[in-house]
Amino acid sequence: MIDKSIKILVVDDFPTMRRIVRNLLKELEFLNVDEAEDGAAGLEKLRGGSFGFVVSDWNMPNMDGLTMLQNIRADPELGKLPVLMVTAEAKKENIVAAAQAGANGYVVKPFTAATLEEKITKIFEKLAKG
Amino acid sequence: MSKNAFDAEQGNTAEELLGRIGQLTRQLREGLRELGLDKEVAKAAQAIPDARDRLAYVAATTERAAHRALNAIDVAQPLQEGLASDAKGLSKRWDEWFADPIELDHARELVMDTRGFLQDVPQKTNAINSQLMEILMAQDFQDLTGQVIKKMMEVVNDVETQLLQVLIDNSPAEKRQEIVSNSLQNGPQIVPGNPDAVADQSQVDDLLESLGF
Repeated sequence: MIDKSIKILVVDDFPTMRRIVRNLLKELEFLNVDEAEDGAAGLEKLRGGSFGFVVSDWNMPNMDGLTMLQNIRADPELGKLPVLMVTAEAKKENIVAAAQAGANGYVVKPFTAATLEEKITKIFEKLAKG
Repeated sequence: MSKNAFDAEQGNTAEELLGRIGQLTRQLREGLRELGLDKEVAKAAQAIPDARDRLAYVAATTERAAHRALNAIDVAQPLQEGLASDAKGLSKRWDEWFADPIELDHARELVMDTRGFLQDVPQKTNAINSQLMEILMAQDFQDLTGQVIKKMMEVVNDVETQLLQVLIDNSPAEKRQEIVSNSLQNGPQIVPGNPDAVADQSQVDDLLESLGF
């Protein structure tokens, strides 16, 4: 069983996309959701609070999602935090780069609620096993 | 290297650089005039602030439309959930009464509550429907932004054609082949069928699986 009270951070520079992801998470009964508008703001929030999961865009001002992911993995406190990339970047080299940087999942926009649920469930199942 | 020698070299490099930029600029202007493109480029440059405004309009309009639809969903969802939970509650009470249909006072209360619920349903579904209409209407951005984008494409096309021509005419032959982008931030794939990109989520999953992730 997934703990639905887990604290989730949604990082995207578009407020509409943050709203859509937040609404989809609400639909999946994840109610403890916070938002950040870019990678730099995201890292700051992550360092300040006890988050259990991150959903991040790639292409953002100040700090992009890949750089944020690399920073998370390099941080002793945050290193193991699961990160799901949700992005319009659809080039194969992007997907490979994200996987190599330690992303736990990769969803291309536009996506459906079912895809998001499937990826989140899979990530938590994998974490529970290993 | 002594400090003086270093300064001298710096000076030379900076001078050389300026010289080269000057030369390139002169070459570019001559090239443009020869090609009869100078007026076209001036026109394109003038179109750019206008293009920026158009893009800002598209961004603002689409954001407004998305919020409009999301706001309507925020209003409609609790109404919908209220209807469902009221119906579930009444249904449960009816089930209990059918299992043991004796307490008449209880039954009367249940009938009155059910009647009240039924009277409320059309009003609530009307309210939900008006939110659905709001979502429908919010989609009008597609038409508005579509027109603006179409005009934008003409401008961009003009600028691209002209700049590309200038670039080709002024670049050494061996460089002409390798004008390709090599970035990880390209945004959505606008034209389908790019062999370097995935077309859908299943291809993402396949790629990651093939890499052992």
